[in-house]
Amino acid sequence: MHELAPALKPYFNEETTEDILVIEGTHAASHAARLARVQAISAYPITPQTSIVELLSEMCATGDLDAQFIKVESEHSALACLVGAASAGARCFTATSSQGLLLMHEIIHWVAAARLPIVMVNVNRALAPPWSIWADQTDSLAQRDTGWIQFYGESNQEILDTILMAYRLAEQVMLPVMVNMDAFFLSHTAEPVALPKQELVDRFLPPYQPEFRLDVNHPRAFGGLAKPDVYMEFRYHMQQAMEEALQLWPVIAEEYKYHLGRWHGTAIESYRCEDAETILVTAGTITGTTRLVVDQYRENGVPLGLVKIRMFRPFPVEALRQALAQAQRVGVIDRNLSFGQGGIFYSELKSALYNGDHRPLLNGYVAGLGGRDVTPDVLAEIVEHLIHSETGQDLVWIGVKA
Amino acid sequence: MGHVLIDQEGKPVFAASTGRMEWNHTGSWRYMRPRYENKLPPCTQGCPTHEKIPQYFAQVKRGDYRGAWEIILEDNPLPGVCGRVCYHPCEDVCNRGEFDERIAINALERFVADQNLDRRYPASFRQPSNGVNIAIVGSGPAGLSAAYQLARRGTAVTIFEAAAEPGGMLRLGIPEYRLPRHILDKEIHDIQSLGVEIRTGQRLGTDITLEDLQNRFDAVILALGAYRGRAVDLPGRHLKGVRSALDFLRELNTHQPVDLPERVTVIGGGNTAIDAARSARRLGADVTILYRRSRTEMPAVREEIEAALEEGIDLKECCTPVEVLGDESVRGLRWIKTRLGEPDDSGRRRPIPIPGSEAVLETGAVLLAIGELPELESLPALGTTGSRIAVNDHYQTNLEGVYACGDVADGPVGTVVDAIATGKATALAVLHSLLDQKPAANQPPVVTYDQINLDYFRHQSRPALPHLDVRDAVQSFTEVNQTLSPDTAEQEAVRCFSCGTCIECDLCLIYCPDVAITRGSNGVPYVINYDFCKGCGVCVEECPREAMTFEEELSCTN
Repeated sequence: MHELAPALKPYFNEETTEDILVIEGTHAASHAARLARVQAISAYPITPQTSIVELLSEMCATGDLDAQFIKVESEHSALACLVGAASAGARCFTATSSQGLLLMHEIIHWVAAARLPIVMVNVNRALAPPWSIWADQTDSLAQRDTGWIQFYGESNQEILDTILMAYRLAEQVMLPVMVNMDAFFLSHTAEPVALPKQELVDRFLPPYQPEFRLDVNHPRAFGGLAKPDVYMEFRYHMQQAMEEALQLWPVIAEEYKYHLGRWHGTAIESYRCEDAETILVTAGTITGTTRLVVDQYRENGVPLGLVKIRMFRPFPVEALRQALAQAQRVGVIDRNLSFGQGGIFYSELKSALYNGDHRPLLNGYVAGLGGRDVTPDVLAEIVEHLIHSETGQDLVWIGVKA
Repeated sequence: MGHVLIDQEGKPVFAASTGRMEWNHTGSWRYMRPRYENKLPPCTQGCPTHEKIPQYFAQVKRGDYRGAWEIILEDNPLPGVCGRVCYHPCEDVCNRGEFDERIAINALERFVADQNLDRRYPASFRQPSNGVNIAIVGSGPAGLSAAYQLARRGTAVTIFEAAAEPGGMLRLGIPEYRLPRHILDKEIHDIQSLGVEIRTGQRLGTDITLEDLQNRFDAVILALGAYRGRAVDLPGRHLKGVRSALDFLRELNTHQPVDLPERVTVIGGGNTAIDAARSARRLGADVTILYRRSRTEMPAVREEIEAALEEGIDLKECCTPVEVLGDESVRGLRWIKTRLGEPDDSGRRRPIPIPGSEAVLETGAVLLAIGELPELESLPALGTTGSRIAVNDHYQTNLEGVYACGDVADGPVGTVVDAIATGKATALAVLHSLLDQKPAANQPPVVTYDQINLDYFRHQSRPALPHLDVRDAVQSFTEVNQTLSPDTAEQEAVRCFSCGTCIECDLCLIYCPDVAITRGSNGVPYVINYDFCKGCGVCVEECPREAMTFEEELSCTN
């Protein structure tokens, strides 16, 4: 291993790290799948996801990864293949983006309801038309009600770590997990990424051992007909599993820190929120830029803080209420849009706070759709608007040209 | 019912059954029903004897050459002969031809026959006597085929052959470089092993009479063939050196001394013309073939024409003879160029001489190969169509109990396989008439190219057929074409689409989403359990070769 700059040492824990590579986000995801020892991969190429499965296919070809790589003719088939593989007890991985994710939609519901712990990486990319390949979270947020656990990552390292943790979570609560990264800002940006030692990953993430599996020697039917007398219970149990996931996640994050020495927060991460009167809420790569802006305001004596949402489903209602308990003004920055309503994280947060004890002034900012850059100047514009707001505003467009 | 798992001590809930699901008879949802039904492959349809080609290919793939041979033998007792001399109409209609290249069926038939040269018929071929006693006149392909089909069904058969040895045109007409005599002898011997008696040197009208045969046998099959060269109105035709090409071949093939000049001209474009030309070439002559139409109209087999050209035979297309020149013996031939006019009755374009285009060819012999006709003088009581014996759809002549087939009878004539086919059909017609044994029922539909699921095939070329180098070939009467190697034969059998023929590829079984298809037993490849088949049709859709049928469910009582 190379000699680390002192500042990097706590982040790239030397004891747990096999190697440090400067790689783009897609390849961080590929290495995570390899380290998780996935057994079945099925995917269809789509920009900017393709390099994830390209590298995985090479790993399968060279034998670095002992997995079945199933080539298919569509994303719908890709996920359908994994339904079979996961039912047979394989640890499964796929990756997609944007239109590909939408084509999977039917099977996305199926996977969750069949309680198959598949982990998928979605590269958040804007939807067409007009065609765009740049960052936008509307694709994955449109899958909000499918029963998948969802995470959003800020750095390539966080993506790698989250995927490993996602398998632990998925296989414990028997729900699938979608790990999202912003197109290009993560997917095609190279950063130093620490690859953990395989034996430590194995200790953290034991092999998948499902309770029921497709087995020709013990035939049973999967996904059969449920009459009204039982169907509702299936859905009740899925919700129970979501709530369990919310409880389990901080435990898994602690365990990850114990075994692999890194911590990215729990379902959320609060940054300089102590005594903060004004708090920005973000998800994805806008977070990194926002940290910089928070630091700048803090230097000027303005009590500004940041809450980063990592886990979107199940939505961490209690954690957010606590994190925002002291705030007077809260601004949510959404790189996504629910047409006819507004930013989706904003809507979720607003409904989370409604039954709570404390309701700060809440503004919803929509910025950076289709990959438009959200720079420190843009964020400063949001902060100024928030600080000077008299009442909450549901939808504030940032940077729309007249 | 218990087919879903509910909360087990707080564990997640799965939509999975607790046990087997056989109680759920999903077959009741079906309104379309798949079933296995082999269709007719175009090759089988195109073969006059209807050989079951994909079926015997399946045995070749398995290495069961005896099994392959026995399948051919159902329809044709002369695979070693046909694998060499057949003009293989089966290949002309091969669906694979539309995909890449047609299958080398003829070469595979020969391969199978040659793998069985040391084998004899299985014991099951000898059936107890059916009490019927049949006389056959002629031991050419038609007579042998009829005798074989009758004998296999327990019939007593006696063949009367005019020549000293059996085989008819196979022995007298076809040169040895195309058909080595040990192959012919072996297959005739096989037929004799069924109890068929062949009396040689028995010429109808001289040694035996039709009336006598009618009295002594339950039925008589006339399979005399056609040996007389068609009459030609050519000045100088009586000169010494002008003769029928067939007579030349007959002398050669019966090992009589043949005196041939240096330059020989053959007139005609059929197989006899090519056989005579290539034989004369082997005797050292300089050979020219004169044909009055263009090469594409020549009735001879393509490969034979190409081989003749390769061997250095000069083909003069669109040339017709005007006069044979000479005093006593032939010295030359005056000929004239032709152009092709409108199609005539035969569908071929009529050759029209071009005035002023005459020329003279120096030649010492003229061999006429312009078609052969039967000799019917010894059979005055038989009705004819002018040149051949008239028969009805059951091969019956105007005389009670007298049948006719092969080249002597009206119908498809001129090729070995047509003779074998009419011989077989005549045998079955005789038994139908005498014993009320019905021939096979309706034929299933023929598989067309668009019914083949091409996703399962990749382009692959037809193998080159092994043959002697042309420089060696013209030196002797050694057989020119050779047998495929077992590896090549297997590859070619695998390349076959097997149109309409289940080869147990398992795709139906693999794709059935309801596991309603299982392997069968006792020769039945698969069984569909209609209690569970939902009629989705995936099996039928995936079948690469149209060996399944999908039809509307007519009964709702599952």
